[in-house]
Formats: sequence, C-alpha cells, structure tokens
Amino acid sequence: MVLDPAHGGTDLGARGTGGIHESDIVLEFAAQVRTALESQGFQVVQTRQGNANPSFDDRSAMANAQRGAIFVTLHIASTGVPGTARVYTMNDLAPAADATGLIPWDRAQGPFVSLSRKLGDQVQALLAQRFKGSPATAQTASVRQLRTTAAPAIAVEISSVTVEDRAQLDHMAPGVADAIARGAAAFRPSYVVPVNPGERP
Amino acid sequence: MTPRWRWWFLGALFLAVVIAGIYLPILRRNIRQAAKLQQRSEEQARRELTQPTVINPSDPRVKSKLFWASGADDGTVSAVTVELPLSSDPVLRSKQVLNTLLAGPVDIELRTLPPDAALLAFYLPPDGTAIADFSEALATSIPSGIESEQMAVDSITKTLEANVPQVRRLKILIHGQEVETLAGHLDLSQSFLVNANAAPRPRAAGTPGPALVPPALTPAAAAVKLTAPARKR
Repeated sequence: MVLDPAHGGTDLGARGTGGIHESDIVLEFAAQVRTALESQGFQVVQTRQGNANPSFDDRSAMANAQRGAIFVTLHIASTGVPGTARVYTMNDLAPAADATGLIPWDRAQGPFVSLSRKLGDQVQALLAQRFKGSPATAQTASVRQLRTTAAPAIAVEISSVTVEDRAQLDHMAPGVADAIARGAAAFRPSYVVPVNPGERP
Repeated sequence: MTPRWRWWFLGALFLAVVIAGIYLPILRRNIRQAAKLQQRSEEQARRELTQPTVINPSDPRVKSKLFWASGADDGTVSAVTVELPLSSDPVLRSKQVLNTLLAGPVDIELRTLPPDAALLAFYLPPDGTAIADFSEALATSIPSGIESEQMAVDSITKTLEANVPQVRRLKILIHGQEVETLAGHLDLSQSFLVNANAAPRPRAAGTPGPALVPPALTPAAAAVKLTAPARKR
C-alpha cells in the first residue's frame, strides 16, 4: 500500500483562514490511515514522512516500482460541505498505441482505471456511511497524481480547510482511516497482481 | 577652525537644512506621482490585454447554455440559458461565451472561475484542439482542491461543447505557459475532450499542417516506457 500525503515543503496546498494547511493535516491523517492499514495486514510505504515535497512523478514511481501496489493520495479541499469526504479516480485515458505491451509513463493509470473505480467505490461506500452528505459512489476527475500511477489508485479528499476549529478535521481522521483500510481489504481479493511491477493488470 | 570659518560652516549647514526642508516634500510628491503613473499604465496594459471581446449587436441573438455550479454542493455544474449575440466565427464565438462565463452568474455563490481571471487569447487550429490562454489569476485565485478545480474545467469545457461545435478538445494555458496542474491537483498537461463529434475545420491557405509539427514534441512521442515487456502467462 503506497500512502501519499499530498503537497508538503513550500507547497502548503489548500489554506484555511484559521491557519490550517492541507500539507500538515494530510500528514496527520496519513499516520492514522497507516495504522489502520497495518492492522488489516497491509505493508505500508509513505511517499513522504515529514515536510518534504516529492514531485508527482517521484510519488508515482514509489508505487510503480512495487509489485501489486495500491495507491491512495490524501487531500483536504478548500470547498465542499465540511465533514464530508469524496473519493476520486482518474478519468478514462486514451489507450496508448503500443504493440510491445509496455505502459507509457504519462498514461500509466490507463490499464488500471476499472480496478481503481472498484477500489474507489468500496472506500466511498464506507465513507458515505460514516460521513453524512458524502456521495455514495466514487467520482472521476483528471487528478495529476493518479495519471502516472501504474496501480489501482484513488484520491481521497476531505472537506475542508475552511472549518473554524481544526478539531473538526481531527475528529474525521479515525473514520477516514477505517474506511480506507476496510475498503482496501475488501478490494484485495479482486486484485490479480501482475507478474512484473508496472505490467498491465 | 577660526571663528569666522565656523560661522561660514554653520551658515552653510543651516542653508542646506532649509533647502532640504523645501525640496524633500516636493521629491516625495514626485515619487508618489511616478508610482501612480506606473500603476495606471500597468493596469491599462492589463485591461488592453484582457479586453472582453466586443459584442457585435448585428450578430444574431442565440440562446446559449453557460455552465456554472449547480448549487447542489456535489461538485457538479449545470446549464443556465442566456440569450447572447454570438458571432458565427468559432474563435470569436468561443471568446464571447468564455468571457460571459468569466463574468459570472447572477448568484455569485455559483461562480466556478475566479472573478479576477481573464481570457488572454483563444486559438482554434484546424484539427479542432482549441487553446485557451487564461491569466494567472485562474490558477492563483481558484480555491485549491480536486472538486473546485474539476468544476472550473467542467464549466469551461461544457460551455464550449454547448456553444461551439467546432471545438473537439481544449488545452488550457496559464499566461501563455503550459502548467502541470491548475492549483495543485487537476492535470493541465493534457488536453480535455470537449466534443468528440466535432468536424475538422477547413485549413486556411498557408496554414501549416500537422506534418510540420515535430513528432518528438507531442506528449505521446515523449512518453517514457515503464517496464520491460510483459511476460506471457
């Protein structure tokens, strides 16, 4: 499981009026998600531990180098109904005309889109039970981080940095962590792991 | 120093203080005026650059669909029908609908694009892949997040789809530059599908064809291969 707390370093991500920064909050969420995933038996790799800001490609590379990885990128929005959570998967990517069977880096997510949707729906359904007002199924969006990831990959976005009290977001962390871990565990049996890392599923 | 020279020195010093007292406020006023003039010329340049496309009253009034936030708090956009005089030229028409979209809906809560963002340029090559160049405010003033950034792009692409059938795909530039994301999330390095059924436009005489574009510059040609060939199972 590759867990990606988005942004970091000089990139603070979404910023709330109360001094809440997306880059800080996602790091704290990641710690709880990691514990929940490990309790489900997953091995977890984080794309950043501290206040670093690896590039999109470097983060994707961490998943692309693993065999049978699942990728989750964590975000806090600056919009949306506070206390809700949404899962995004990548839009359909045009298939690359490549007779060799290799996956082009800039469309790495292409062959994994349907698996990502399956994972996304599992996690979103659990989030919807926990956080009223959240959608019932995962949505699609052109998320840059997901495009170059050759693995089932989802973006989880929590609303929002505009809350007056940061504790409102902190209270969501255990529920988000539990939904991601249980959703990934439910998805695991349906994921036939490719022989080589980066290979088409 | 003799007493006489001391008096000369003190006199000169006094004179210098008096001159400085008179000249400094004048200098300060001149600096302030120069700063104002510079500010005004920058503002003028920006306005000239981002001047909205002139609406020609002789253009036929068309019921246009413009897409702003639906207001359902679910990240969707919905169409609002507005009657606008629109040109039959697809480039001019695109500029007219996008400028109206940027001007915003009646209910400002349903706005999808920042109020200070402007369309700087719009091109439509014969292959139907339009290029819309927006000012930096589109990236810097938009609320950061997957939902808000996707809504901004949806409102642009759906508005073009509904009003300019010649646009097949859309590439968004920020201040003339290709950028990786809109505000940290949404991918702007690729073009967006607008209308899969758009018919190719006739090429104007002297317009370079796609064969003149070096293949190595296209994203697909520049793709880096990920792994060795897949094993047969």
